[in-house]
Amino acid sequence: MVGERSAPLVLSRHVLMLGVVLIVLAPVYWMLMIGLKTESEFSQIPPTIWPQEFTLEWFEAVLGKRGFGEQIMNSVIIAAIATSIAITVGSLAAYGLSRFQLPWGLNYHILFFILTVRMFPQTVTVVPLFIFFTQIGLIDTHIGMGLVHSMLELPLAVWMMLGFFRDIPRDLEEAAMVDGDHWLGAFRKVIIPLVRPGLAATSILILIASWNEFLFSLILTRTEAQTLPIAVANQVTQFDILYGRMMAASAISIIPVLIFTLLVQRNLIRGLTLGGVSGA
Amino acid sequence: MLNVLRRRRGGDVQAIANTPWWETHLRFFFIAPSMVLLAVLAVFPAIMSWRMAFSRVTFKLGELEIEPIGFANFTKAFSDNLIIGSTVRTAVWVLVVVSAEIVVGLFIAFLMSKLHSRARMFFTAALIIPLVLPPVSVGAGWLVMMDVNFGVLNYLLSLVGIEPLLWLADDRTALASIMLIDIWQASMFVFILMYAGILSLPQDPYEAAAIDGASPWQIFRDVTIPLLRPTFVVVLLLRTLDAARIADRMLAMTRGGPGSSTETVTLSIYKYAFIHFNFGYASALSVMFQVVLIILATFYIRRILRA
Repeated sequence: MVGERSAPLVLSRHVLMLGVVLIVLAPVYWMLMIGLKTESEFSQIPPTIWPQEFTLEWFEAVLGKRGFGEQIMNSVIIAAIATSIAITVGSLAAYGLSRFQLPWGLNYHILFFILTVRMFPQTVTVVPLFIFFTQIGLIDTHIGMGLVHSMLELPLAVWMMLGFFRDIPRDLEEAAMVDGDHWLGAFRKVIIPLVRPGLAATSILILIASWNEFLFSLILTRTEAQTLPIAVANQVTQFDILYGRMMAASAISIIPVLIFTLLVQRNLIRGLTLGGVSGA
Repeated sequence: MLNVLRRRRGGDVQAIANTPWWETHLRFFFIAPSMVLLAVLAVFPAIMSWRMAFSRVTFKLGELEIEPIGFANFTKAFSDNLIIGSTVRTAVWVLVVVSAEIVVGLFIAFLMSKLHSRARMFFTAALIIPLVLPPVSVGAGWLVMMDVNFGVLNYLLSLVGIEPLLWLADDRTALASIMLIDIWQASMFVFILMYAGILSLPQDPYEAAAIDGASPWQIFRDVTIPLLRPTFVVVLLLRTLDAARIADRMLAMTRGGPGSSTETVTLSIYKYAFIHFNFGYASALSVMFQVVLIILATFYIRRILRA
């Protein structure tokens, strides 16, 4: 769609976009750098764009803090539980909805219902869940939090996987079945390999969403299952805000997301288009 | 499943007779786990919220008491100035951030569609970065940049001769400061959706317009905008509902302050529930909010279906 072929115009568009990208990424760069600067350097005017003296003191202080390692582990475990549940359950539903016609127009109603759940106010579910989880002992547990995150991300999983399954021509699996395979064999040999990129992208989006989630984790955990965003927020609301530590804690929560995003970016873009990972 | 497929085509009665019952009903088993998960963790809690909304709820040491009191929680809400304030503030928040995000996102999407394909991939990969970062962590980062004394934003303002701002510490600028962060992050979401919409536009109307000798502006207004309408509505739906439910940024950065200048509906309900432990009143507010969101969503979804 590069329209007019006049070279200066095309060049100026690219330069303009480069400017946009630099402005958008500047805050991320700035945050990551503050965690590497000494206190006297990040509080000086004018600020330095590239640290004159690198320090790992903030990272050491944060990682050495009691509980921080556990909070990282909690986030990892909960994200793993949430992702495995949501991707399994969600893919099954998406596959079923893409291959079978249910009676009473249920396909349409189920998809609509799943969308509606995504739009519930958080408080309408989290207040009863707090009571319910306290009573049955799921409060402040990895499995409880993982289940809640899988519920929150299930709509994304279903809608995203639905798109990937619909892209697979039905003839392919019917051919496998006519060749004598049971449906399960056809599913394993034909469908799974074809949707593998989709599964990977969807899983990573769920993983990121669970890793980032704040409100439910704040309410449904206390100490045992407390996640990384809560730890970061606790750094902010302390009486004496320690900027270096706060930025080191933020950086630790940001870096894994950055790596995952860059790993699967093409399918990720498709996933973002279909589902939407922003906010809670 | 072959049998199921055959039956759908109305053939092979014998195969159906030999198929175990669970295999003929296989199609229901695929969706069942999702439905159970949503029923237990979303629908059941929502029903309980509706019940608590009409009750006085006490929850102490794991003992739950629910005592029906009719509409008292609801009538209280309409004379609660804190809630009225939060509602107005949330409405302003939604209007400002969603319109700004659409303008910024649309601009970047159009600019991107005019670039060379290799540059597009690179720039798109860079632009989705803010979108996937934890809101709480980027909030902490902006907190440092908005520091009154040595924050980089006040330094940049001083370069162009503007007096330093108090940002989050001033009740006149606190909400706007958080809006800025939201716009920075969520515009990229709008960009991704709009960009996908632009790339999938059909080419025929453009060729027709070119033959008719339409100007670029006419093409934009009479061809591109109408064709992008479905994408617009999806963006509006997703962004409006997410923006209306905002609370995590405020919870992490300002706790609703200074005063109540950054308190949103979800944050107020959170405080009633988990600081004042008034579950009944919080539930009444939640379900009213839910009704408002459902009305909004239905309004948009009708338009999507019509388009």
